Amino acid sequence: MSASTTIDWSTSKTLTDVSIGDLLPAIDIDITLQRLVMEAAANRDLSLIHHDKSVAQATGAPDAYANTFFLYGMIERLVRQWGGVNIFIRKIGPLRMNSFNCVGDSLSFNGKVKDINVDEKTVTLSTWVANADKVSVTADVKVIFAS
Amino acid sequence: MTANTDKPSWGKQGTWQQALSYVGKVVGISKGADKADASSVRRWLEPKEFYSPLFVDDDVAQKAGYDAKIVPSAMAMTLGQPAHWQAGDKRFEIGDEPIQIPIPVIFEVPAPFSLSFATSMEMEFFKPIYHGDEITITHELLSITEKQLKVGKGAFFKQKDTYTNQHDDIVAVGMLDIFRFNPASEEA
Repeated sequence: MSASTTIDWSTSKTLTDVSIGDLLPAIDIDITLQRLVMEAAANRDLSLIHHDKSVAQATGAPDAYANTFFLYGMIERLVRQWGGVNIFIRKIGPLRMNSFNCVGDSLSFNGKVKDINVDEKTVTLSTWVANADKVSVTADVKVIFAS
Repeated sequence: MTANTDKPSWGKQGTWQQALSYVGKVVGISKGADKADASSVRRWLEPKEFYSPLFVDDDVAQKAGYDAKIVPSAMAMTLGQPAHWQAGDKRFEIGDEPIQIPIPVIFEVPAPFSLSFATSMEMEFFKPIYHGDEITITHELLSITEKQLKVGKGAFFKQKDTYTNQHDDIVAVGMLDIFRFNPASEEA
């Protein structure tokens, strides 16, 4: 299990802790077929493109690939691990999938503070997924801080 | 997938004119099979190696301003999925159409395309989802836009999904772009 699963949840970020340009701690995760099967069983998206290589290849992908639900969940993980328990996730997206994230790929989920609205207590983050030499996914995330 | 062929295909088949006739209409309603509970949340978190005390600890959640422990926001999509089998349904057999999540702009809207994938999605969250909540999704087809991509010629189908809980509160609204197409290798 990756070291990134040990997070100190006893402290939570406040709006005054946040500056434009701050980087979120990145999360690395490998795409294995077993992970995709676990994901499909849990998230209920049983489409064959997400666990059957031949069907995925028929759509132009090199192999079975991670689905939208997984990407959303991982971006939520990235943001919650950064912000702590005192944030409400207001919006994720538009999430754009530029290329496939396939079995055998090593992904890095990243984020950066893009904008801060003190009056609304909101922060907008740019997030992206690095897959080898490509950015396979991008998404903005808007969060509301409790304080 | 169509049975008895080596070429995968899915989605409801029909004409371009038929597809256009669905624009602006509700094309499906998906009622989640189960209430949100600890087991489904745990299994959803596992493949993402994801943990937050907000999902398991009422005290932490209440101190953070929630009524009780919550469900991951992005799990709304999963909680809106209907049962894949229930008593009375036929048994699955070799060659049957594979089970798919209800994306009505693929599986309920007829169109002259054989394959599809999602290209973009946006989710706005308005209220937390709590353990015990039941989620229903109302799907609308907002637009269809023709496009040629590297994988083939087709069209973007924009689907709006409104997520409500058992109190009819809107907890989230999603916008999904699906590209339905015929593979370039099969084009003349």
